[in-house]
Amino acid sequence: MTAQFTGLDYEKLYAARLQAVSARPYLATALYALHIIESRRAPTMSVDKYWRCYVSPAFVDYMPEEELASVLVHEVSHLLRDHHGRSDRYAHTHDLSGPGERLRMNIAADAEINDDIFGDGLVWPRGAVTPATLGLATGELMEDYLSQFTLGPRTQELAWLDCGSGADGLDRDWELGPDGTDGLSEQECDAVRYRVAQGIVGRPGNAPKGWRRWADRALHPPQPWRQLLGAALRSAVSAPGVGADYTYRRPARRSASLPGVVLPSLRRMPPRVAVVIDTSGSVSDVELGSALLEVAAITQAVGGRRDLVTVFSCDTAARIAEPLCRAEGMALMGGGGTDLRTGFTKALRTRPDVLVALTDGQTPWPTTRPTCRTVVGLFHRERSYNEADPDYVPDRPPDWARVVEIG
Amino acid sequence: MTTSSASLPAIGSQLDVARDLLALLGQVSTEPRPDTRLEALTLAVAADLPVLLWGEPGIGKTAALTQLAESLDLPLTTVIASVHEPSDFSGLPILGDDPAAQGVPMAPPDWAVELARAGRGLLFLDELSTAPPAVQAALLRLVLERQIGALRLPSGVRIVAAANPRSSAADGWELSPPLANRFVHLQWTHDHDVVVRGLGGTWPRATLPRLDPEQLSEAVAFARRAVCALLAARPKLVHQMPTTETRRGGAWASPRSWDMTVRLIAFATAAGASRDVLSLLVRGTVGDGPGFELLTSIDRMDLPDPELLLADPAAADLPARGDLRQAVLDGVVAAVRRQPEKSRWDAAWELLAKAVATGAPDLVVVPATTLATLRRDSWEIPPAIEHLADMVSVSQRADRAAARVVEVRR
Repeated sequence: MTAQFTGLDYEKLYAARLQAVSARPYLATALYALHIIESRRAPTMSVDKYWRCYVSPAFVDYMPEEELASVLVHEVSHLLRDHHGRSDRYAHTHDLSGPGERLRMNIAADAEINDDIFGDGLVWPRGAVTPATLGLATGELMEDYLSQFTLGPRTQELAWLDCGSGADGLDRDWELGPDGTDGLSEQECDAVRYRVAQGIVGRPGNAPKGWRRWADRALHPPQPWRQLLGAALRSAVSAPGVGADYTYRRPARRSASLPGVVLPSLRRMPPRVAVVIDTSGSVSDVELGSALLEVAAITQAVGGRRDLVTVFSCDTAARIAEPLCRAEGMALMGGGGTDLRTGFTKALRTRPDVLVALTDGQTPWPTTRPTCRTVVGLFHRERSYNEADPDYVPDRPPDWARVVEIG
Repeated sequence: MTTSSASLPAIGSQLDVARDLLALLGQVSTEPRPDTRLEALTLAVAADLPVLLWGEPGIGKTAALTQLAESLDLPLTTVIASVHEPSDFSGLPILGDDPAAQGVPMAPPDWAVELARAGRGLLFLDELSTAPPAVQAALLRLVLERQIGALRLPSGVRIVAAANPRSSAADGWELSPPLANRFVHLQWTHDHDVVVRGLGGTWPRATLPRLDPEQLSEAVAFARRAVCALLAARPKLVHQMPTTETRRGGAWASPRSWDMTVRLIAFATAAGASRDVLSLLVRGTVGDGPGFELLTSIDRMDLPDPELLLADPAAADLPARGDLRQAVLDGVVAAVRRQPEKSRWDAAWELLAKAVATGAPDLVVVPATTLATLRRDSWEIPPAIEHLADMVSVSQRADRAAARVVEVRR
């Protein structure tokens, strides 16, 4: 190496950033929010979780502008997608530690980013990790990739990879850390992320699918359907009149200490739950089975007895529902037709406290409100087709039902 | 006989030893450590708004409340909701001599009477979510109206409630939207480092915000301006009922919660609290989406006004952070577009030249291109443009790079 380092070539880096901004206008806020710091110890270019970007001068000299632009977009993607936080959470839940595991997280994070951010105005930087490098399918999340590969011959060439603590959560000793200058606070990071997400959702035309999905998640984080279904069911079965509550029908044991005063006592009234399964669409056995098990488990947890859970189903569903219900000790009655309204009518005859309908929503709904609380578990469907009417859109479940999207 | 009489003092001394051991275990030190959640809680309690702490059991909500009570110098009363009956909160009916003439008074429990007598205190209603629905209903009247039986708690009493998240609450505690709208929701989680260090003998001690008496009128003006500026521009944000199952039971925007937000911003400003604290409070009151919009809008309020910059470009002080600087320059160009005059156009060029001289040139390219298109035929090119050489060369390099990308694709 005869060439003397003359310091970081800012002009080249700024030109690269300008090219990145013109190729990805919706990332402009994030790219400009990065605070660029010259660093001799950063291997190439890396970020920390305070939105500082450490750049090696030699790396900038070596790479052409267009590749630097791609690398900048790549680094900012780590920060936008909160890879450091997700790495920490993954390490915590799976009890992982050590630099080897962090390298694996860096690789998985790179794989999540790289499969959809390049192209269309951005070149592929050399040596970029893709899911294909690991022999895995594209379009998955970092957490999914992490469970699918280990460090080995395939990742041998990736050992130099280092996107900084912003990518894998492990603090490097050459980073400035939380007390250093020019870092963004947590709230400022959130604000940048929020503005970028809003820009993408507001003008979705030119953003690729991966970024749109990210923006949707950033603005409306998904919640596991099990918890939602559980919460809906719990709140339905513990509403006044059902479950355990106070009643004046019998005096409380405390009444003895307050002569002349009538106090209510706590009474338990096990809830009666009716489950209507609609399988006119293509609900898979696995989906249905897990939803049904969930309903049974929650009912039991809140004090219901198995014999108070009744399952009504169409004939096609009997094949899963029947063995399941036999194992769970639930009564299963045959039903007919693919119209959910008949299922509702039949179920309401048993006078349940709560009615749970598991359906994919491609059915007519009852026009009148049932006499009990209703929870609808709606299996997610990408699109529905009707050969006779291509513009057919199934009705949304009515307002009186609490709807939980499943899957 | 001799053995038993000999072992008796031994048991006594064993207990003494145990007491010494317990005393040793109780010796913990504290260290100062910023705690944004505790600061947010302090401000919300000081603002006399009902706070609901959401958190799994056993993560130190009570410890936080103890520290809060200490710092506000209020006696702490903890009531575990789940072990009480509804009549403990709605009042125990007491039969008098002639109920037909005097009615049946609803007597409050002793802790409420003591609180009322003291006139001040911090009432912590723990385990709200594991109480049966009838108890919860009685408690909500206490939290929101301070009414307990026939007794009304004085305004010096501050009330904080705690609940488990609905995914782990077995008994179906869930706030209906009207109730959720009355609370400031704060999520309480444990910090791994704090717990490990605390078990090692050093617990954190947060320095809690103090209201500055000199800032009060300014804080109120700022809070009103911040909320009104946003709501005037975005009428849709005034009322946003949660519609999806995911958002049930959380904070949402309504005139009531915006009113609470004004109060919280005023308190946070008077206390000089950080943006992180404000963010927790605002998002816990109107929800994440409107909260973020408000925070962004407050950030923009801090940015220099384009009209002032255009009036005196030489004295302009542009923000150092790239994205904020870009927002300011965009604002300047937009102001010129609204009211195109030669002097304003020249001033804008001067500002852009200043931006190139003091920071990254690349973020000036887009405003400069837009500003150039605003030129009228009679306007001469201002001399400030000569200082944009750096920007032009960066722009040309970027264009060449973009051209190479297209070639590669072919």
